Amino acid sequence: MESKDPPGKENLGTKRKNLAFLRPRLYMLERRKTDTVVEGVVPGDHSGVLRRSQSDRTEYSQKLQEKMSPQANGPTAASPTPEEELQMGQMMAKRAKIIKELIQTERDYANDLELCVREVVQPLRNKQIERLDVDCLFSNMESVHQVSAKLLSLLEEATTNVEPDMQVIGEVFLQIKGPMEEIYKIYCYQHDKAQSLLESYEKEEELMQHLGPCLQSLKKIYMQEARPALLDMGSLLIKPVQRLLKYPLLLCALRRATPPAHPDRRALEEACAALRDAAASINELKRRKELVLKYKKNDEDESLKDKLSKLNIHSISKKSKRVTNHLKILTRGESQVKDNTFNKEEKLFRSLEKTVRQCMKNISFCLQDIQDALPFALQRVTELREMSQHPDQEERSSAENPRFAPDLCHDFAAQLQRRVLNPLSALLSLFPGPQKLIQKRYDKLLDYNSYLQRSERAESDLAKKEYEALNAQLVEELQAFNQAARTILINGLCSFGGLLRDLMLAAQQGYATILPVPRLVSSLGEIQNQILVKVQNLNFVKENSATFIERKLSFEKKKSIQTQPEVPRQTETHRSHLLSTYSAEGLYQAKRKCNATQEHDIDLLEGELVAVVEQKDPLGSTSRWLVDTGIVKGYVYSSFLKPYNPAKAQRADTETRLCDDDFDDISFFVSWRPGSDSVSGTPEGSISDSSSSLSGTCGKCETKGSDVDGFQEVDEQIFYAVHAFQARSNYELSLQEYQRVHILRFCDLSGNKEWWLAEAHGQKGYVPANYLGKMTYA
Amino acid sequence: MSWIPFKIGQPKKQIVPKTVERDFEREYGKLQQLEEQTKRLQKDMKKSTDADLAMSKSAVKISLDLLSNPLCEQDQDFLNMVTALDMAMKRMDAFNQEKVNQIQKTVIEPLKRFGSVFPSLNMAVKRREQALQDYRRLQAKVEKYEEKEKTGPVLAKLHQAREELRPVQEDFEAKNKQLLDEMPRFYGSRLDYFQPSFESLIRAQVVYYSEMHKIFGDLTQQLDQPGHSDEQRERENEAKLSELRALSIVADD
Repeated sequence: MESKDPPGKENLGTKRKNLAFLRPRLYMLERRKTDTVVEGVVPGDHSGVLRRSQSDRTEYSQKLQEKMSPQANGPTAASPTPEEELQMGQMMAKRAKIIKELIQTERDYANDLELCVREVVQPLRNKQIERLDVDCLFSNMESVHQVSAKLLSLLEEATTNVEPDMQVIGEVFLQIKGPMEEIYKIYCYQHDKAQSLLESYEKEEELMQHLGPCLQSLKKIYMQEARPALLDMGSLLIKPVQRLLKYPLLLCALRRATPPAHPDRRALEEACAALRDAAASINELKRRKELVLKYKKNDEDESLKDKLSKLNIHSISKKSKRVTNHLKILTRGESQVKDNTFNKEEKLFRSLEKTVRQCMKNISFCLQDIQDALPFALQRVTELREMSQHPDQEERSSAENPRFAPDLCHDFAAQLQRRVLNPLSALLSLFPGPQKLIQKRYDKLLDYNSYLQRSERAESDLAKKEYEALNAQLVEELQAFNQAARTILINGLCSFGGLLRDLMLAAQQGYATILPVPRLVSSLGEIQNQILVKVQNLNFVKENSATFIERKLSFEKKKSIQTQPEVPRQTETHRSHLLSTYSAEGLYQAKRKCNATQEHDIDLLEGELVAVVEQKDPLGSTSRWLVDTGIVKGYVYSSFLKPYNPAKAQRADTETRLCDDDFDDISFFVSWRPGSDSVSGTPEGSISDSSSSLSGTCGKCETKGSDVDGFQEVDEQIFYAVHAFQARSNYELSLQEYQRVHILRFCDLSGNKEWWLAEAHGQKGYVPANYLGKMTYA
Repeated sequence: MSWIPFKIGQPKKQIVPKTVERDFEREYGKLQQLEEQTKRLQKDMKKSTDADLAMSKSAVKISLDLLSNPLCEQDQDFLNMVTALDMAMKRMDAFNQEKVNQIQKTVIEPLKRFGSVFPSLNMAVKRREQALQDYRRLQAKVEKYEEKEKTGPVLAKLHQAREELRPVQEDFEAKNKQLLDEMPRFYGSRLDYFQPSFESLIRAQVVYYSEMHKIFGDLTQQLDQPGHSDEQRERENEAKLSELRALSIVADD
């Protein structure tokens, strides 16, 4: 309508209307001042025409009515004839006018669109200029044009050759409403973006060089057709938006001019409502988007200062209200508005986010590991080959040296980066936006809830509106988001699998080229063992192992010398001598066997009798006592001694004797007799023992030891378990801690000195040597 | 004997010929290098197998984390896919373990056993050195007496010194000869010794990688019902990403 000379009287109205179109910004400003309901309209809002509330629209239609009124009301006022005929005639005349206008404007509009598409959109599309986003700029203008053309043809079809009484315009609109809404929705949705894009393009010389000629040619055509001059690209872009808003208005006017009996009346009413709905829903869509943008932008570009400045009473109270409300919901399970679809989508969204993040991390780690492992393994292969091939062969093979690994890994990494990691990281960077909005949605939901409870009508409505807008937007777009994210994730995983497969294939081929026909594996051990045997037979190895044994033995010898006391053992005569010489109070008995640890210490066997000469050592310590064994005098730790009780000792003697007898019966070796029996330890025993160990065979040691001095040998064979030991098989012997055992042999059948054949309580078995100690005071 | 270094005309008697000493040094040097190599390779082989294991472990972690994700509960298709992936990863891990065991058995262990010979060699070389020193010392003693005036006690001492020298000299010569003879043999044995290890290593790798190729080949077939090519997938990703960016809830402007 704005592009075409309206016939006659409507001239004035059109002008006013054009003015009205230029005024949305003005409205916005006005509303910002007056409308307290909407707080903080998006700053720099250039979205324009569609962003008009209901009040704007009513205002608009009033204007339209004004425009219509001169012809509609004029005659009725001038000639107030009661005849309905006349009124009908007037209405029909008005109706015919409006229909004519509708068709005419539609034709102009379609024409405009066609010109635009032909002269601007197509050439620009064909040019394929990289930085010029034609799709974004013109969106789906082609479809808009098609819809318009279709509408025009339908309108013409409905009017030409049809009696005015039978013209049904409403049907046409109802018919086309569906696709129309869809297409305009997209266009309007994109429009503000296109607008800002256009503004940014206009600043750039280079792009304007492309846009300019198209616009010029368009203007030329307009001049030729003697139409109002085309202002600029922006007015071109906004036309569909304006047109869409005009449909309901025109239809309303048409409805009002249609007599109630006219067949078109009902259809028109429906069409009018439908189109209003469509406009409203498109408007709502835009509002949602703006809301979303508002909250999304909220935190991003703000400095701390901005945030602080925003921290006013209002926002604080709002926040605290939210917190308390949240707590209420948590604690009392207060009823709240729920949206299951949203909850489902949100859960999906969150798990997607987590998955993508984890996947990214793990895959990069894996890549790292692969990059570490593969070349490293290959390097080892090369090294081993160097060691295993003759120098002359090496020459030959180094030519075909497998250089595949570094390239391979490099390729793999690059591909992985491109096909998996890059898309995933790009995807990951898109998650925070929706997250923020989801948070905001919760806030709004809380607001809504709290208002609901306090039943504050007006505020509740607003909160509800905001919440619902945000929610609807999120539900809708999260679905799309989740779908797309899932596809990308799955693609990434598939690519990962494929890349691994390729990598493995390449690696396999790489290795296969090194060694085309491998030998059978079974012979490997044998071959190597043979060679090792040969090597072992080399003299230097043999000699060395001999010296090893020697050293080992000498070490043992030294140890045994240390542990073997060369002190003669107490005999019965010594004991009686002691008993007669010292008083009973001065007599003590060794509780346990004790070995000399320092100079002037003496060794005692369990049960040996000593007379205490002095209850302290030369340094004054009372823990070591000077004692007389009847043979020598020396120091002993007092803790090893107990007062001598003749009766008890006697009984113990007999008991052990009995025990010993049993042992004598069942065991082949000569058992150890307790100290009270006064076994005399002979120095030869220990010496012979150590000399036998020099000869290197333990069996011999044992036999020789027992030959020389049975008792001594027995003494040598008494050990105590330092730790408990649990037998793992029949061949082993379980030990209690501190348990006394006889060692039958100081090695096992194969000569391993770690395991000794021990005997305790009539059972025989092997025990680990390092579990045994000569003394029990450990 | 002389305090003037490099005095000509009275060179210190070379008890071991230079060529012999050089040969010995050369052979021993080669073996020392070999010992070094063996040790290093043994260590690196271990590191390498560890790295291999780390690789398959991290691969398993990918799929495990995916499996434990709540996403799987909501999406059956995804669950199937992840399960397939997990299966492949676990099989990879198992095969990898097997490979590592194989390498341990056929490469690292033999390396270790071979390496265990070197201490004996070093000991033998040390003994030779010891013997050489004894030899030198006694030789010097003998020479000292030889230079002295031939009086009775001196002659007696000379005789005694010669008597002492003889077994030591023999000992050294025997040791020297033995080492010179045996070191090259030992060195030579490495070729035949390591060749099977090498082959086994390669075989293990080839077997492992061909198995892996099979596993992942199966996996990709399983995952790609539509049979997307990588390029298609890339394009799809791009499309989806721009689709996402166009959403108002993510629009990054």
